[in-house]
Amino acid sequence: MRSEKIFQILLFFFIFTTLTIVVGIVVSLVTTSSPIFIKYGLDFVFSSVWNPVKESYGILPALLGTLITSTIAISIATPLAISLAVFSSEIIPQRFRSLMNSISDLMASLPSVIYGLWGLYVLAPILHNYLMLPLHNYLGFIPLFSTKPTPTNLFTAGVLLAIMIVPFASSIIREAYTAVPYNLKEAAYSIGMTKWETVRTMLGYIKSAIFAGLFLALGRAMGETMAVAMVVGNILNIPKSLFDMGYTISSLIANQFPNAEAYEYMVPALYGGATILFLIGLVINLVGLYFIKKVMIKG
Amino acid sequence: MTWAIEVNNLNVWYGDKHILKNISFKIPKNIIFAIMGPSGCGKSTLLRAMNRLLELNPHARVEGQVRIDGIDVYNDNVDITWVRRQFGMVFQIPNPFPHLSIYENVALGPKLNGLVKNKSQLDELVKQALEQAYLWDEVKNDLKKPASMLSGGQQQRLCIARALALKPKIVLMDEPTANLDPVASSKIEELMLELKENYTIIIVTHNPQQAARISDYVAFLYMGELIEIGETSMVFTRPRHELTEKYVVGRMG
Repeated sequence: MRSEKIFQILLFFFIFTTLTIVVGIVVSLVTTSSPIFIKYGLDFVFSSVWNPVKESYGILPALLGTLITSTIAISIATPLAISLAVFSSEIIPQRFRSLMNSISDLMASLPSVIYGLWGLYVLAPILHNYLMLPLHNYLGFIPLFSTKPTPTNLFTAGVLLAIMIVPFASSIIREAYTAVPYNLKEAAYSIGMTKWETVRTMLGYIKSAIFAGLFLALGRAMGETMAVAMVVGNILNIPKSLFDMGYTISSLIANQFPNAEAYEYMVPALYGGATILFLIGLVINLVGLYFIKKVMIKG
Repeated sequence: MTWAIEVNNLNVWYGDKHILKNISFKIPKNIIFAIMGPSGCGKSTLLRAMNRLLELNPHARVEGQVRIDGIDVYNDNVDITWVRRQFGMVFQIPNPFPHLSIYENVALGPKLNGLVKNKSQLDELVKQALEQAYLWDEVKNDLKKPASMLSGGQQQRLCIARALALKPKIVLMDEPTANLDPVASSKIEELMLELKENYTIIIVTHNPQQAARISDYVAFLYMGELIEIGETSMVFTRPRHELTEKYVVGRMG
């Protein structure tokens, strides 16, 4: 029985260590960022001036960048993720199904710097020449497209994020879709539904799982750093259109930390950004987990 | 005489497995026809071959004819959704769409199939179907609530209402009481006796007592073969085949 005792002690040790680290991160986020909130208060959140030389820090442009890129990402990813899930569980022939799912799962786990490289050298020029320029030239009167686009900007980052989160969201939706009880499909077909009517009804049945997948994916999009930093443009301005170059909170931190210690308040400012990102991410993920829980109870 | 359904030389395979062997029979309208037999004998498959639900299984292959009102449902010119609409189907496990309301569960079929022109016609049809399924009085104030809040027996009657709302010619029931308690079961049986005034009912059951209680005609299926078919009173009192006798007296299950 001694080995059992040792196992228990080890287990508690590791659990305790993990929890301590999590709590430690939150504590250091709060304590290290507190000077910036004490000095600037809400101005830190709502000011758009980021000038370390004058020790003035406003996170608003990066915060907007995060919200805009992730909104673009989730809007594009939603129809794609649902279609991909339906395609891989209803339409693709059985023998290709597991291959297709493996590829999709592999894409969900690729290092993000690979997406960044591809986004910078392949996606950005294509989007620039064939989508953003025409949109600007013909629909430039719409405020969303009013800026003359460069290849790297908020829109490119949003599209790249969408591509990155589709496999992840889709795999959650696919799991739920394939777990729909067979007798519900039989019920649908038995009242004369066509295949598409059945698919629509089944999607209604798993809508909690769809929300869960999309919210968890949104959480990923907001925190994604490397790939975004490579294609977002990295300019701190209040964006006037989707085609403006911009910053996100995570890319701001990644780009500015090397010289942060040269200034008095820059480290707290970056921590402040991290705290805000943490809070937003926490809320989004909690919503996602709430929907996951609903799925678990039902199924 | 026009028959409710005529089955001619029906054969079904799952892959290489011969599940139903040369089944032929015809039954008159407005009766309850029970198909009984031990589990695995092909009863449920026979039911699903009638409304072509079998085709959801990519390994299933069907040969032969199933005629309703003289039309072969396997004819190339026949639309499969039309076929499925001619039958209302009730399953072994009550399977209402749990995320839809009680009302929507019943309304969905007629809406998709264009059976009604406007909302008031739909309301009327839903009410009528729920009344026919003996459920209206229990749910008339909860039509907007999700179907998942109903008890098992109520859910099964909701499924019956969903089937009836299609205005089908034939109602197929696949062991509809197998998962219900005795009270709920006897309610469903009473309901079936009521429904045969307007519909032809084909019920699959593994319970010979149930077949004896409610059916007018009965068939005994054994290992994919139709062993015996006839009026229920005859089959149960003077079975012609030894296997049937063994089954109905309970020496085989």
